[in-house]
Amino acid sequence: MWNDIYYFIMVPMVYIAFATFALGILFKFAVVAFSPGIKGKLGAYPRRLPRPLGVVKEAFAVPVAFRKSKVFWFFIVAYHLSFALLVIGHLELIDEFAALQVIPHQVFLGAGWVGIVLMVSTLYFLFRRFRYPYNAISVPEDYLILILLFFALFFGSHMNLASRHLDFMFDVSKMRDYLQSLIALRPVLPEDIVSSYHNIMLALHVLFANLFLMLFPFGKMVHSVFAFCTLNLKRK
Amino acid sequence: MEKEKIRELKSLIASRLTRPMRYYLDTCTRCGLCYDTCHAYYGIPKKEYSPVGRAEVVRRAVKKHFRPSGRLFPYWGDATALDERVMDEMKEAAFSCTGCRRCMMYCPFGIDMPYILGIAKVLLIGYGNAPEELVMLADAAVEKGKSIDEFKEGFLSVIGDMELEVQKRLGLPSADGLIPMEKKNADVLFVGLSGAHSIIHPAVIFNAAKENWTLSFFEAVNFGMFAGDPEKMQFIADRVVNEAKALGVKEVVIVECGTAYRIPKFLLGPLPFKVTSIVEKIHQYLAENRIRMKDGAIAEPLTYHDPCQLGRNAGVFDEPREILARLASDYREMSPTREYNWCCGGGGGLVALDNEEFRIKSGKAKKDQIDATGAKIVVSACENCILQLNTIKDGYGLDVEVRSLSELVAERLAV
Repeated sequence: MWNDIYYFIMVPMVYIAFATFALGILFKFAVVAFSPGIKGKLGAYPRRLPRPLGVVKEAFAVPVAFRKSKVFWFFIVAYHLSFALLVIGHLELIDEFAALQVIPHQVFLGAGWVGIVLMVSTLYFLFRRFRYPYNAISVPEDYLILILLFFALFFGSHMNLASRHLDFMFDVSKMRDYLQSLIALRPVLPEDIVSSYHNIMLALHVLFANLFLMLFPFGKMVHSVFAFCTLNLKRK
Repeated sequence: MEKEKIRELKSLIASRLTRPMRYYLDTCTRCGLCYDTCHAYYGIPKKEYSPVGRAEVVRRAVKKHFRPSGRLFPYWGDATALDERVMDEMKEAAFSCTGCRRCMMYCPFGIDMPYILGIAKVLLIGYGNAPEELVMLADAAVEKGKSIDEFKEGFLSVIGDMELEVQKRLGLPSADGLIPMEKKNADVLFVGLSGAHSIIHPAVIFNAAKENWTLSFFEAVNFGMFAGDPEKMQFIADRVVNEAKALGVKEVVIVECGTAYRIPKFLLGPLPFKVTSIVEKIHQYLAENRIRMKDGAIAEPLTYHDPCQLGRNAGVFDEPREILARLASDYREMSPTREYNWCCGGGGGLVALDNEEFRIKSGKAKKDQIDATGAKIVVSACENCILQLNTIKDGYGLDVEVRSLSELVAERLAV
């Protein structure tokens, strides 16, 4: 029974999650692509930088948040930067990329700090929502997505830290076998992973990551893509 | 609400689900950075007057009726079906918003909240609950567009009186042709408002600058836009577009009315003529020395209120300030200013509604700004702003004089 659940989370559910994520995003893009455009312009002023530069600056430096709340801005920037490093770390978990090893490092940049920064930022975003006036405008989706993300980070980060600072060595090569087999659509769950000290942590990490991915296209997380479109409209 | 009515309203929502609308509806993370950026919220701190609070009223209904997640798990995103209560919330949200887009300046994604409220406005029209005043004024403008010939004679008779006033101001020997009508191939077609002052001051300036101009039969204000009716908005705007095309003018100059300027400038798509605000035109005349100001600047402290549609929504920030620099010796900037300036609370057609108490309260941010400057003269370049600034002045007993920029320029022309 436990083995079946474990296998379901680690293999079929991963496929379901990625399929839901990909199809959901495609559906979202298709709906937008087939929606009518407008003949006018919705831009605002001033425009101190050319459009592409302005969009990049607003998207990545978030000066609007800096103006309103330095603390919130700090966590926004810290969170998004760390998330980018996290994506790179997971790519390295699939395969070795020479370009990513320009500065030689153990898989996952940041010596474990990336996960900690992400967890602290996520908790900040979550607890900020419990405060007035943010609680007045929050809906269940806002809390749930942050809770799922926190748990995915918590278990993922736990494995990373344990692997770095304790004797529970995390076998990257076995993880690569597993992830590459998933990508090749010939899934194999190596026995070394199933019987490792981290097996439960890993399953919980994958479970919460799966749930997060499945919800991604259907909520506000699409801001990660659409933000560039709205910021472009602001300068058009 | 009856099923048939809901179906009808859903089709209205669908008609407004453009690409930008979908971006705006999907991108908001409810981060709350915009929460306290609305002047209405400043005066009346209720969630209903926060930008995100307003947008959520629309977003919840769209989720319920257009999203599988809203149908399957309404609790998940607080999706709410259209009913009488929701329609009341929509009215409160849509017609307490002036469309100033100050909130957009504080949104990390640049979401255009008033654009989202376009859904609420079109639903209110479909539900028969839109403000009657705005609907009637829009209908009257449409009617005038359909039967302009019936209006021409009456309008021309009034023009004669205005020409006499322009003649007196400029000290000219004759009043003939000082306000030219239906002049083919003029360089400029000026579009005023229904009030004589909106024509006389610009006419004085155009004649002083020896402009080859003509006056439109139509007024620039667009009540179709204020009511939120896209078809009427287009028809009312097209009256002037067609007139300009028929006359073959090179440039259409819009009176001091922010929305009237923004519509042809940005919302109609490409036009075969240039669209300019009277403020930009005055600035051009001064730069080209086609008009001159009298010696001796105004000594009283003076401040400028940026009309939202002219400033952050059209980029006309420097021109009015440079004009005022020639008029006043004690110019004082408001704080915050330019794109972050508070809206006065009169836009979006709100000054045409029976809501004076609300507008006085929602004008508190502007009142505090004016107070802080210590100015005795408040200048602006939008008819709605002038009306609202006077409401704020009377409501709070401010010891200031509210003047329009073109009025001040016309008054201080060296002739």
